Amino acid sequence: MAGTFRRVADVFGRIPRWVYIVAALVLAIVFPMLEQAGLMQTLWLRLGTRTLVYVLLAVGLNLVLGETGLLHLGYVAFFAVGAYSTAILSSPRLGIHWNFWVIIVIATVLAMLFGFVIGMPTLRLRGDYLAIVTLAFGEITRMTFNNWESVTNGPGGIPGIFPPNLFGWVVDKPAEFFYLLLASVVLVVWLLNNLKKSRVGRAWNALREDEIASHHSGVRPTQVKMLAVVLSSGIAGLAGAIFAYYQQFINPTYFLFMQSTIVVCMVVLGGMGSIPGAIVGAVVLDATPEIIRQAFTQWLPDALGSDFLPGVQTALQTDFDRYRMLIFGLVIVLMVIFRPEGLLPDQLWRREVHDEDPRDQEHTRQHLFDFEEGEKDLEV
Amino acid sequence: MWHERTRKLLAVGLALALAASMFGLVGCNGTEDGGEEDGGEAGATETIKIGVHTSLTGGLADYGFAAAEALKIAAEDFSGFEVDGTTYEIELVIKDDKGEPAEAPIVAQQLVDEGVIGVIGCLTSGNTNASLPIYQSAGIPVISGSATAPDLTEAGFENFFRTCLRDDLQGAAIGEWAVELGSKKAVVMDDRGDYAVALGNEVQAALEAAGVDVLRQEGQEGDVDFSAQVNNIKNFGPDAVIFTGYHREAGLLFKQLKEAGVDAQFMGGDGIKSDEIAAEAGGAENVEGALCTFGGFAQENMPGYAEFAAKFREATGKEAGPYSENNYDALGALVDAIKIAGGTDGAALIDALHEVEYDGVQGTLTFDDKGDVSVPGGGGTDLIPRFEFTEGTWQFIG
Repeated sequence: MAGTFRRVADVFGRIPRWVYIVAALVLAIVFPMLEQAGLMQTLWLRLGTRTLVYVLLAVGLNLVLGETGLLHLGYVAFFAVGAYSTAILSSPRLGIHWNFWVIIVIATVLAMLFGFVIGMPTLRLRGDYLAIVTLAFGEITRMTFNNWESVTNGPGGIPGIFPPNLFGWVVDKPAEFFYLLLASVVLVVWLLNNLKKSRVGRAWNALREDEIASHHSGVRPTQVKMLAVVLSSGIAGLAGAIFAYYQQFINPTYFLFMQSTIVVCMVVLGGMGSIPGAIVGAVVLDATPEIIRQAFTQWLPDALGSDFLPGVQTALQTDFDRYRMLIFGLVIVLMVIFRPEGLLPDQLWRREVHDEDPRDQEHTRQHLFDFEEGEKDLEV
Repeated sequence: MWHERTRKLLAVGLALALAASMFGLVGCNGTEDGGEEDGGEAGATETIKIGVHTSLTGGLADYGFAAAEALKIAAEDFSGFEVDGTTYEIELVIKDDKGEPAEAPIVAQQLVDEGVIGVIGCLTSGNTNASLPIYQSAGIPVISGSATAPDLTEAGFENFFRTCLRDDLQGAAIGEWAVELGSKKAVVMDDRGDYAVALGNEVQAALEAAGVDVLRQEGQEGDVDFSAQVNNIKNFGPDAVIFTGYHREAGLLFKQLKEAGVDAQFMGGDGIKSDEIAAEAGGAENVEGALCTFGGFAQENMPGYAEFAAKFREATGKEAGPYSENNYDALGALVDAIKIAGGTDGAALIDALHEVEYDGVQGTLTFDDKGDVSVPGGGGTDLIPRFEFTEGTWQFIG
């Protein structure tokens, strides 16, 4: 079984990487045209646009969670900062209508600044402690937006966000937002891919593997981690800004803790530290539940008669959100059992998880043996 | 090495060129279709799809159920009306947004994709805000029977109408009532939810305009312990405590206030108008004498209510729920607009809705320029009905 899988994987592995990249790009570029040509409902384009927002978020979180190994559970806070900066600076709420480019820069930089301010105290913490502090920070940010009524209109939210104007091109259709997001994704991925291959990228991975060892090899942990946190916050800010423009309305319920969890799931599913993994993780986790829902409530009943599994139909229609979480949980559990390194793992991370190198195993055995010997010595 | 890079660039370039050319082609094709409807033929029957964008699951499922059931009754009542020799049959497309604003645009897009000619909804103001941009760009009229936030009709969406009264009217009415009762010091408390905060702000503004000393307090939806607020309220010594959130928190708050010995008039908005409040307050005696208002017309003042309530009871076996009559009237007004417009074109329907004078359950309804509902000779706080909790239930008192 595993052998077959490896052989199939080998065949796909021999196809050069650029073929995949070009194929994915062509798919993404053609996707909105299906809607334009009337071959696909606008609903799917809207869902695809949402998926791209998640792709941006997953790629951004991958930098912190995957590359640097910091368990960050408040990522949605930076998304909220970006979204609220946009909503405040481009809506009738305070009567401000600034240029798209200015706002994109402000949203990104403000989110980065937030990342810096939060990073200063929290990056001294590791593991669970960091997770708890970032989780709390995410909730505090949402509460602040919920209570800061004079600016954010509190729980009522900010409606009527003006559509962005890119040098005279007014972006207000789902297809146009799809391309805008696609361009952002390509830009961000290109940037991060280059960073990953640079000295900084290696330093991130070294910190993830062993902080003390890398510190002694000349990596300055705080600065290097801070760079990852600030950059990923900026990406979330950018995603938030475009999201706010796209929705034309935001309120604090968009930025619940659950959003952070979903993005963490996407990174873990795709493969920690792998950019293609994060993209695939986001696409799979965001699109699959919707496809399942449509399949059981529309396509299958249409094809096989409306009495096809009526129980499943009603369940998906009425309790879809809970089932979505169930699917998420199931997918993650299956993955941890059968493919702990993720769908498209980074090579380094794969070795870390699998320990397949015989020398490594020998080393571990030796280590255990020494330990047992030591125990015996103590007993004597 | 370099020739591989050239190949890559070539591939990407070709793909982009291909994509761009296709985009141009389909762009031209896309604009050609449309106009498949051929209304106006004598004796023809046309089925029109009307979207129902509501929340059948989530925290406000009971409101959504009432809306959907009322609309099913309305669709049955109005189906088969005739305009210029064409008979129109109504088909409702009911969709659930779970009361979540993130889900609302998806539902709106589904309804637009289905080709509905008009939409009744959404249930909540937040979801209406989240969906209106999509309906606006599709040019579809939207009539809500329960979205009461004032800013919805102030934001300039010309396709939005509502058959319910606005929060600011209800807020002013609660404030006025408290002043009538002789309040000098009042507490206004909300649950940090969008509805309660908006209503609370209106109440506070009305009270302060009348010179009442106001202490603003807040809880969180889902809280069970209000001891901090109760302590603040006790120290303030008010003669009225007004909670603008929902009945669950209101019941607990009133109970804890009673236990702390706060002797004040308990009041609230339509969120507390549920008989469940007695159980939630740990006994009817804790709510006895509490007062509340409602965001719609008084049942006793509505000419068609008795008939509508009977139909609702017959169809569902339940009492007509909150805002169900508003939803019924929303569909009625839309049907009237189709008659005036002589067809189902979105822009014509939106224009026609401003001219509608519809005899509905609530009375003769017209829409003003912004899309807010009004009845002849009304518009002030006297439209807001008042209720008092006596003998385990909310009794209409005027």
